[in-house]
Amino acid sequence: MKGYAIYFSNKLLWFLVTLVAAFLLNFFLPRLMPGDPVASIVARLAQGMTNTSGVQAIYEQYTKLFGTNLPLHEQFFLYVRNVLRGDFGYSFSQYPRTVADVIGASVWWTVALQLPAIIIGWIIGNTLGVFAAYRRGGFDKVLMPASIFVSNLPAFGMAVILLVIFAVQLRWFPTSGGYGFDMIPNLSWDFIWSVIVHYQLPFWSIVLITIGGQAIGMRSMSIYELNADYVKYSRFMGIKDRQIVGYVFRNAMLPQITGLALAVGTMVGGALVAEIIFSYPGLGSTILTAVLGGDYPLISATTLIVTIMVLIANFTIEIIYGFLDPRIKAAQSD
Amino acid sequence: MRNKFLMLAGLLVVFSMLFTACAAPAAAPAAAPAADATTEATAEAAADATTSDPNSLPRNETLYYNGQQWGAVVGWNPYSSSNNNAMAIAQGDNARVVMFETPYLYNMLDGQVYPLLADGDYTWNDAGTELTFKLKSAAMWSDGTPVTAEDVAYTWATHVKYNTPTGASNIDYIEDIVAVDPQTVMVKAKLDDAGKAVNPLLVAAYVSSNYVIQKAWTETLEARAGDDATAFLADPAEDVVYSGPYGKYFTDDSKAVYVRNDGYWGQDPSMWGKLPAPKYLAHVIFKDNAAGTTALQAGEVDVSQQFNSNVQDLWLKDNLPISTYLPEAPYGIGASLPTAFFNLASPGLDQVAVRKAIAIAVDYPTIIANAMTNQSATFTQVPRSLMNPTEGEQATFDHAAVADLQWAGNDVEGAKKLLDDAGIVDTDGDGWREYDGKNLSYVATCPNGWSDWQAAIEVVAAAGKEIGIDITTNFPEWSVYQTVVTKSDTPLPEGYDIFMMGSNGAGPTQPWGRARQLMSSEFIGMPSNWNGNFGGYNNPDADAVIQAIPAETDPAKLNEMYTELVKTYLTDVPSFTLMYRPQSFHTVNESVWTSFPHEGDGTNPPVPPLDLTDGWSIAGLYNLTLVNP
Repeated sequence: MKGYAIYFSNKLLWFLVTLVAAFLLNFFLPRLMPGDPVASIVARLAQGMTNTSGVQAIYEQYTKLFGTNLPLHEQFFLYVRNVLRGDFGYSFSQYPRTVADVIGASVWWTVALQLPAIIIGWIIGNTLGVFAAYRRGGFDKVLMPASIFVSNLPAFGMAVILLVIFAVQLRWFPTSGGYGFDMIPNLSWDFIWSVIVHYQLPFWSIVLITIGGQAIGMRSMSIYELNADYVKYSRFMGIKDRQIVGYVFRNAMLPQITGLALAVGTMVGGALVAEIIFSYPGLGSTILTAVLGGDYPLISATTLIVTIMVLIANFTIEIIYGFLDPRIKAAQSD
Repeated sequence: MRNKFLMLAGLLVVFSMLFTACAAPAAAPAAAPAADATTEATAEAAADATTSDPNSLPRNETLYYNGQQWGAVVGWNPYSSSNNNAMAIAQGDNARVVMFETPYLYNMLDGQVYPLLADGDYTWNDAGTELTFKLKSAAMWSDGTPVTAEDVAYTWATHVKYNTPTGASNIDYIEDIVAVDPQTVMVKAKLDDAGKAVNPLLVAAYVSSNYVIQKAWTETLEARAGDDATAFLADPAEDVVYSGPYGKYFTDDSKAVYVRNDGYWGQDPSMWGKLPAPKYLAHVIFKDNAAGTTALQAGEVDVSQQFNSNVQDLWLKDNLPISTYLPEAPYGIGASLPTAFFNLASPGLDQVAVRKAIAIAVDYPTIIANAMTNQSATFTQVPRSLMNPTEGEQATFDHAAVADLQWAGNDVEGAKKLLDDAGIVDTDGDGWREYDGKNLSYVATCPNGWSDWQAAIEVVAAAGKEIGIDITTNFPEWSVYQTVVTKSDTPLPEGYDIFMMGSNGAGPTQPWGRARQLMSSEFIGMPSNWNGNFGGYNNPDADAVIQAIPAETDPAKLNEMYTELVKTYLTDVPSFTLMYRPQSFHTVNESVWTSFPHEGDGTNPPVPPLDLTDGWSIAGLYNLTLVNP
């Protein structure tokens, strides 16, 4: 058990170090971008104003409100204090909305779209990969090129293809939005059905791409494992097929699990394309507008979410690895 | 083993399918927070004696828009300009009067103003220092109380007190707005040393550009904000009282919906005599123009206020019931003049010959055909001036007097000759002309992602190469671009030698406002200059004419003065128009609603193609009929 404890605390330490470093970058990097976001808010407020003192007064009012008149290190400590209290401040680009409000309204759409899509893409992809490795023959000959083709399509390409075929040409699915253009959100079956229908195209545009990549990886891993000495040895030993498949699956799975963790961690970034093409509400497009608008608080908060998700996903994987692969624990306890 | 494997694989697939089915409703909780708003809205709607299903918008009671609202609505406060609530709050020359109302409505087609809250025309006193108008006795707020002169006066006082954009931009021209009696409003102009109004044109424009806001509600807001200007302007004002035909129904990150107030005062015979046809106005928030065009094609948008590239394909190739105001190119009425400004401080660009050479060499037909897909009049159809293509503005100057100075572009030989004559030639044989011993080398720029502008700027750069001037392009993000271009108290930085900005469209102060915007030196030195003359042009003679026009009433004199300004503008070339652009794009899909404004539709006064929301165009909402009633 000592091996696990060392392994676990080691990983936790690195997790915290990375978190602090990422937190610093999240704060400072957006603020190094050119342009003065407060000036652009004032510009918006001051359109049509012809007297200079009025504009200057508005500018000072807002720099004070957003704290951008303070030196950067003071801003940082204020930010840390506020974040620890759960207060991310006002969004610059959507002022007077708060960052919490902006993210709260969009994050669930992204999670509900991306998480199932990634997991299902992963499950189907791996299943097909193992299947191809095991069956070989015609199935493999069709699946492999198809997977390579699909996984190499850029995400926007897949989204546009699905949009044109199923929404514009066949009209099976709507072209845009998270729910019917003629609906008001409520808990009726009509609305839920509308959400499901709108969900399909963005969902499958992510799933199809995930399937391709996962299937290729899993197929190679499985083929490698099927030819491994321990499999042959197990067969000579007369061990049952079911048990051998268990060994193979467990060994071939490891890199795939890493892939899943990373995909889950980075899903917010990956959401952007599907969300934009299908005008789907969500965090991806929120980040894009935040970056284009120089909206520091919103950029910092959203990137912090992404960072924490990636870190937690990695941390969890490292821990699971420790249990799945005894070699890792063994290496630590040496 | 093979069977086991197949079974495992099969199970996984079945499991994943089941998961898909379960996963979809998982998105529903996202909508849950909105449920409160819905209930609230439903209650409101119920108060308006609604009988329809509160959870859906019946297609034949709803008019759908695109192109006005980008991003979520953040508030309903008519004093603030940061609500991002485009359908409800947009004050200006063609103020959007869906929710809040102005005393008068401007009609860009005939240049007249028509009374809305006001009763009859406004009058000036003989000295031209006080403008008086009466309010309609029928005009009511959504809470049932009458709109009074006190409301108008208090709105102005509040704008001044909190230094709102409206207050700050009019304080130099309006001394005060007072209630003479409950129905009579007097706008007192600010006077100059000679005792004359500083700018009667802007005083008159106030009454068609700015909303009247209820005094009682304003006081509630002030109490809530505790007299703090920031809190006052940041208040989302969910409880706002309004006088217009529509109010808040529902908003979230994907749409904004406005519901008709069936008790709207405008159904009184003294105004419209009936309610506007659609019960709901809805605007789905699209992420980009492409998504908006797709929805328009699908019949999910009735009125499209966005640039639809090659709009004619929608009816010629796709055979959709889609149309524009004019059946042929330019499809709409050009109102604004997207303009390339020269940074007059850049070496060489202080020379008229260089500026004019670039301007006359540009291939404008290509810009209009490619960047605007012919949704602009050409410079042969409407030769360049300071005026937009509307008849009213074109009549303000003497065409024959400026004909020699106008150019339609593609004049590479003429440009070369101009430069040669000015002694600006290529002496070192590297292909680029020099001025003061240095190659003429410039960066032409506009905001990134503004694809039609980017295409136009590329054409400008190409013209430079034809005449031996090295012009490269660069496209910064709008968030950066706007702060650089509007900072007129410091010289423009490197990379902004030739840059694009929009111009005023149609309005009650035009074409004076646009002439001022393109030529007046009064904006030089402003830290946040959204007014114009971004290149730093300074011509005292032009300034004097610009200053004199607002007080001039003699049409012949005015014609002379405008002709003078056009001559100076085309001679000095401080900037040059690249295309004409409509005030609003106005493309309609007639699969559900019909009787939209079209040229020659017989309406009198004519309803302008401004999406049935802006200025006099709101009259169009009362003319709409259903295709299948």
